[in-house]
This record gives sequence, C-alpha cells and structure tokens, in this order.
Amino acid sequence: MALEDYRESMLGCSKCSYCKFIPLAKINGLKYAEGCPSVAYYGFHTYSGGGRLTAALSLLEGRSGYTDKVRDMVYGCQLCGACDVTCKVCRYNMEPQAALEEIRAVFAGDGQTLPVHDKTIENLRGENNMMSVPATGRGGWADGLGLKDISKERCDALFFAGCRCGFDESVKKVARAAAGVLKAGGLDLGIMGDGELCCGGAAYNLGYREDFARLAQANIAAWKDAGVKRIVTPCANCYWAFNRLYRQREDFGIEAFHAVQLADKLIKDGVLKPAKPMPVNAAYHDPCRLGRLGKPYEKWDGETTKIFGTIPKNDPPKPRYNGEGGVYDEPRDILKAIPGLKLVEMVRSREAAWCCGAGGGVREAFPGFGQATAKSRLEEAADAGADILVSACPLCERELADASAAKGGKLKVYDIFELLGTALGGGDF
Amino acid sequence: MALTKETYEALSDIVGEMNITDDPATLDAYSWQTENDVASLTREPFHFMRPAAVLLPGSAEEVQAIVRVCGSRGLKFKALSTGWTGLAQAFAPNELILDLRRMGRIVEIDAKNMYAVIEPYVTCAQLQAECMKLGLICHTIGAGGNTSVLASATSFLAGNGPDSMYQGYSGETLLGAEWVMPDGEIVRTGSCGFGCGWFCGEGPGPSVRGIFRGKGGAAGGMGVFTKCAVKLAAWPGPETLPVSGAPPAYRSYLPENFKFCTVVFPDWQRYADSIYKLADSEITYISHRQFGMLGEDLGPALFRVFSDSSKTLDDLEALVNDPETKALTDEVRHYSYQIILAGMTPGDLGYKERVLDEILKETGGHIVEAYATKEFQAYAFMYLLRLPYKHLNYVFGGKAQVFRPDGAPDFAIGAVDAMSAVLAKHQARGALPQTGGDSMMSALSGIGGGGDFHFEQFDLYDKADEKSVRAAWECVRDAMRNYGLQLQPGQHPKLDGLHGEELQEGILKYMAQPARLHWQWKMLEMMNPKGTAEAETYMKLQKNPESVDVS
Repeated sequence: MALEDYRESMLGCSKCSYCKFIPLAKINGLKYAEGCPSVAYYGFHTYSGGGRLTAALSLLEGRSGYTDKVRDMVYGCQLCGACDVTCKVCRYNMEPQAALEEIRAVFAGDGQTLPVHDKTIENLRGENNMMSVPATGRGGWADGLGLKDISKERCDALFFAGCRCGFDESVKKVARAAAGVLKAGGLDLGIMGDGELCCGGAAYNLGYREDFARLAQANIAAWKDAGVKRIVTPCANCYWAFNRLYRQREDFGIEAFHAVQLADKLIKDGVLKPAKPMPVNAAYHDPCRLGRLGKPYEKWDGETTKIFGTIPKNDPPKPRYNGEGGVYDEPRDILKAIPGLKLVEMVRSREAAWCCGAGGGVREAFPGFGQATAKSRLEEAADAGADILVSACPLCERELADASAAKGGKLKVYDIFELLGTALGGGDF
Repeated sequence: MALTKETYEALSDIVGEMNITDDPATLDAYSWQTENDVASLTREPFHFMRPAAVLLPGSAEEVQAIVRVCGSRGLKFKALSTGWTGLAQAFAPNELILDLRRMGRIVEIDAKNMYAVIEPYVTCAQLQAECMKLGLICHTIGAGGNTSVLASATSFLAGNGPDSMYQGYSGETLLGAEWVMPDGEIVRTGSCGFGCGWFCGEGPGPSVRGIFRGKGGAAGGMGVFTKCAVKLAAWPGPETLPVSGAPPAYRSYLPENFKFCTVVFPDWQRYADSIYKLADSEITYISHRQFGMLGEDLGPALFRVFSDSSKTLDDLEALVNDPETKALTDEVRHYSYQIILAGMTPGDLGYKERVLDEILKETGGHIVEAYATKEFQAYAFMYLLRLPYKHLNYVFGGKAQVFRPDGAPDFAIGAVDAMSAVLAKHQARGALPQTGGDSMMSALSGIGGGGDFHFEQFDLYDKADEKSVRAAWECVRDAMRNYGLQLQPGQHPKLDGLHGEELQEGILKYMAQPARLHWQWKMLEMMNPKGTAEAETYMKLQKNPESVDVS
C-alpha cells in the first residue's frame, strides 16, 4: 500500500473529533473521556487521528512541506489505535490507523525520521534488537529454567521472549514468569536463545518497512527450519507483529499466541490451579497491540462494487479491524481465577483502553509525553480503586512502572505472569 | 498571511511556546471542514484561507490578552471548541484561530439549583455523564455528544435535539456567560455579572443573552465565551449507564422507569397532530425523528447494521432485501419517530404510557413492535440519550443539509413533498446514495414545551467521488432555487469565497433571510466595530445586495 491508497480515508474525515475521545457511549464523566494521548498532551487538532490525516493530505498535495513540527507531529503518537476504534463506530470506509502507519513509511522513505530512531534502527541492522545493545546475551533471561534450545531439539512451542524481555533487566522477570507458568502447565517449550531476532514490529511502526520485512522473513525462515508449529510470546507487540503484520505479508502456517491465551486455557482445563490467595484490588491494563489491535489479520480477496448508487459493497464481506476480536477476556479470566484478587475495571478498558505511553517510538523520542500518558493511566487505576495495575506486555509494564516510581511508587505495576506465577506457588507477592 | 516575528513572539509570550503554531501542515488541519467540498465542488475540503496561526489559550485572561494583541496589531480572531462546523475555520487574512481545548473544566455543578458552569471544551457527553451522577442531565444537541455545550449555548445555531421538547434548545438553557468581547473587555452576564452566582441569565446583572446570541448565534463574531452556565434537568435514571457490547453496537439497558418506543402514524397530518398532543401533555423525555435521516429505503436496514457488531455495510443489500426488514421499512416509512418516556415517580411512567396510548388512539398511531425488543431498546436508549454515534451522518462519506424554515408542525409538513421530490430527483441521477427521498431528521420541537419544528433533509453523498460532491451541491441549489427550501442559516455562506459567483448565484441569492439576521447584524456592528472578531460568515449574508429580503 502507498499513502495514496488511503486518500479516501483522508478525504473522509468529517472533523467530528470522535478520534479524540473514547467511544462516546463509554464516557463516564469529564475525566478519562480522552482517548488519544497525543492530542491530550499536545493539544492541537493536528495531533489527533483526523488532524494527522488532514496534515498528511496537505503534504501529499504539496500544500505544505516537511518541517520539524511536522516530524514531531507524525512521530509524537503511540500509534495506539484508539482513534481508529472511535472513528470506526459507524464509519465503515475509514482506515485511520493504517493511514497513520503509512505516513511513517513515507517519512522514512523520504529520510524524514528522527535521529533517535535512526540510531535504534542502525543498531537493529547489526544486532537485531531494538534495545540499542549488542545481540549477545539475549537468551540470558532463560538461564536455569530448563527450556529447550529449539535449534537442537524439537518441542511443542517456541517461546519468543522479544527484545524488551531479552535485554531490559527490569522486565526479564516477565519472560521468566510466563515461561515458568506455561512449563508448569506441561507445555514443552523451546527458545532460540541468543539466536532470537527482533520481531520487527517496532521497526514497522517507525516506518522502516524494509527492516521489518527482513526480520519477518528471517524469523519465518528460522522457525520453519526449526520445525516450529506454534509460537507463544509474553509480549503484546510481538503478538501483534506475528498475527497482524506477518500474516499480512504471507500465510506462514504457524500459530502465534500470547502467553495469556495458553495460560487461560490451562486454568480452564484444570491443569493450572492458582491457589495462593492474593487479597488485592487489581486493574487490568489492556495493551494496545494485544487488545484493540490484536485481531489477527484475515486475508481478503474480493471485489468492491457499488450498491444503491454510490455505496461500496465488498464481496465477500471484508474483515473489519475496529477493536473487536482482541485478546480481552483471557487476561481478565486469569486474574479472576486468582483467589482473593478482585478485578476492578477502569473507565477506559478493552478497545477503549488508554495507552501506556510507550509505543510507536514515543518512549525513545518523547519520554516526557510517554510518561505523562503513563501517569494518567496510573491515576485512572487508582480512581478505579486498584491497589495494583497489571498488564500483559513488558513494554507497558516498563513505562507504567517508571511512571509509578516517579510518583513515589504507591501503585505497583505487575505483569500478569508475575501474579499468576505467585498464585501458583512461585514465591511471595 | 504569516505573522511577523514580533507578533508571533508577543502571542507566544501569552500562551507559551508549546501552545502556538504557524506550521503550514498544522494550519491546514484547521482549514479543513467537511462542508468545504460541497462549497468548492472538489473532493478536497481545504479552505483557501489558512489561519495565520493557531493558539491554545488556557484561561479567559489569556484569551483577553490575545484579543488585545489582535486589536492593536490589526489581526482578526475566531475561537472554536470541538469545531464541527463549516464556520469553525478562518475566513479572513491575518486571522488567528483560538482552539479552546485547554479550557475543558467543569467549574461547578450546582445540583440544588440545577445548573452547571463549564468551559468551552466540555462536551455534551462528558457533562451528561457527570450530571447523571447527581440525578441530573444536560441538554444534548442533535449533532451529538461530541459537541461543545458552551459553543452551542452561546454562539452557534439553534441547538435543538432529542430532549428539546423537555429541556429546550441551547439558547434557552443558557444562563450567564463569561464573555471576552471583541475589544478585550471581559463581561460577565446575568446574575454572575452582579456577583451573586450563575443561577439566572436575565439578571440581576447585564442581561445580554439576546444580544450576543439571539436565535442563531454570531458564530464567533461577538468575541469569545470562556465560561457559561447552563440549566440542567432531572435525570431519574442510574448514576452511571453500564455499557456492554462491541463497537459500534454499544448498548446500555432500559431502566424500569423508562420506556422507549418508535411510533408511526397513518399520514403527515396525524403525524403533526401527534406532535402537538405530545407537547400539550408534556409526557416525553426524548422525542426525535432520529431513524429517518438515513433514508426511507435504507434506514431500517442501516440501523440493523449499526446495532449488530457482526454486520457491516457489506451486509446492507441483503438486509434491505430481507423480508422482515422490508416489512419494517414499509411500516416506519415517513410517519414515524422515536420517544422515550421517563417515570419521575413510581406512578409517573404508567400515567405517561396511558397518555401516549390515548394520543395514539386519537391519531391512529401505533407502536412499532420490531423496535420493541429488549436488545434494540437497550441500543436505542443509549443512542437517543447521548447521541454517541452521530458521525454516522457521514456513513457514506458526506452530508449536506437542506431544510425548510422553522414553524409549527402543520407548517413544516407542507414542505415534505418538495423536500422528498428534490432529493429523490437528484438521487435518481445516480451520483448520490439512493437512500430514498425522505431522509429527514427532526427534533419534535425546536423549543422547550413544543411549538417550533422543522425537518432536516440529509443530502448524503460520497466524498471520495467528485461527481457525487457536485450532485449533492446541485441538489442543495435546486432545493433553494426551484423548490423554495432553505439551507440551514449560517451553515454555508462565505464559503462562497471558494467559488464566488456560482455559490452566490446558486444559493445565497435565493436564501430566505429572516428579520432576526438583520437585527443580529446591527448588534454585531455595535459590539465589534473594528471587525476584530472575525464575522465573515453568518452575518455577512446580510450584506449581499441581491439577497431576497423576506423580513
């Protein structure tokens, strides 16, 4: 696709401002009605989904050109998909999220990227990770867990930790906990250790499509060589990359799960029995790329005709990505299965979730914006009566935990597998 | 036109560097309004005029300082909140846009005296949700829950909606306002101006609501309103509305003391009669012809799409041809509208239901069973109460609007044949969605207590197709020129700058110009003698020498 292919979405913006809010039916007051972190922080209409579409059309038409402010506007966005969900409430031919992703590809193609992202990508090209560190030691998180080396042994599923879990000391525990829980549930897991490559999702989000393609191709080839039939990851971004982006490229014939999906099934099948009580009020934070962006890609090969004069009709019906079909219930069911834990819901939940603040390269390029977004989420959790905030993505956990620490650490942030692991008898809470 | 460095810095000193921009792409986002395409007859709704800068003031004092800079440096300004109108853009060179989104506080909700004091960026949905927690509700205009309460109350159009028969229109709900006048003076109106709270719009203190707002509002030409108080009404429902379902089919539930129904009548006359009776009996909480706007032929099928998340427009054709939907389409064709009754006491709902039954008996009307399912009621209740899905006006891409002048229901039904004929004629030419000639929406009253009524004909089109855009415009022109129908006052004028004579010739010349516009023009000249507050749109119409003066 090219930006031109999204012209209809750009033209279709009615400037209704829905993209700035959560779906209006879900609004529960003045606070927490905002859906788009970017326009909430920067203020100008241009920082909303609709405003970005219009600015992009302006660029496409040559009405305006590249400036520092335009670059900041394009990259000062987590690409969290909130605008996409609200826009598509009753709008059927709009694709703001895909258009915003495409705008970045155009910017990257024209060399209009941010230096901080360029450095990250430069490292990615040599070291195959987005953490700006050497590749060595990537598999260290699994030391002592007894997981198989998939290059040497066959196993039920490949456990794909992702860059963040592989290199960020503060969240390596997420991968350890998730793999530990699944192993306790009898899954035969293998890893690629230091040979694991970045999923490429973050590169895609920054607009570096060729780098994404290289990694997708390399990963799929490596998995096929190793006879992988199933992949499981504790990272929402990797989950999204495999199920949405990779499948868009090709039907690679390998199932990809987030660890919560398998753990939930193991609990429901009675294999895992969380027994240790945790008397705590927990709010669950839906990661954007597991929730509203988490619906797996479905290939559509059909025709579009016009009915009733000018109304487009796709035959067969075209799959719709509007926040439905994400992984929402499994993590909640896991938390509900933990004795004593009370799940409290924030106003902005499921497809209307507020972003953690980190995605889309914001953590690296606009840390102040990212942290402001995360702090809003912590306040929302506290207002919902939560003692702790739980997520299912190491990037969310890191961003939210940093914000929590900056606010004095009153509201602790956990990954869901830290809690589940403990509830299964794996240590103190 | 670019600001001088000195002027930019002076403005930046007021709002802070983060809150001002003159970046061209950013400005273009403010030069974009959906109506521009019909006005320009192109697919691209960029206006030819870019603002010189956009500012995000955070307080009345900052607004005042900006206005004074404008006055001293020959700049114009216009403020907007959510900005969902063709007038929310710059129409003059050297114009600043004040985007008031940083002013989004609810200053106070006085539950005892039933009013709220709000800043410009508080939306109807937000205020409604806060009020519900206190057993109150605010007026929500027909444009929907995404719109600014203050903008409609102080500045723009009539502002009626589904609750208008019960609550009134925006001009009626307005109490006092904090008003930064075009010369920068801050005036507080109504009882607030006397320092004794916001409870009354007419004083003690300056009672100038009629001057700055009138019936239709000056759409920016009177300055900037930085706070206002609005009346609230009773909400006998739960403190919060639980929401379930997947997008777009969100639904709540119908509390036991509420009733939702769609009612239908044998003909237009009895349709009109029923509206008088509803007004006389004062039984409705919500009353609106909401489901008619997407067309007599497609409306029922489309609402099946919207209320079922598994459906999309790809299912529309099958649904239209579905026998059950066909029967419903025929049943509700033309003479139907939606009602919500609310029981304020245990016996109240029963009383209102009995009154409704009596009205239906007298007018030959009946309740539509297909819309009486529990599932659909739960959907429609949320829909009509909050209007959270009103960008569905643009479900086919674009929407132009034609309607006849306000009047009593008897008067308005006299126009429906012409309204239907003109739309059907242009739909038959093939470039517009064939929704059916009756694609009309209306509040059952434009004022509190009933009496004022109009239909809004939705001339829907496909924005991505230039032929469709042109067809929509031709329909509007034909409606006005050959059928004597009126365009929404204040909706399009001055967009003539885009293609000058054609619009002037085609629309403005034939547009009815009520006497109230003349009066508001005179007010504007008094209040805004230097034209600092940009008023190139709504009022300018009166300066057109070829206009037909119907005053």
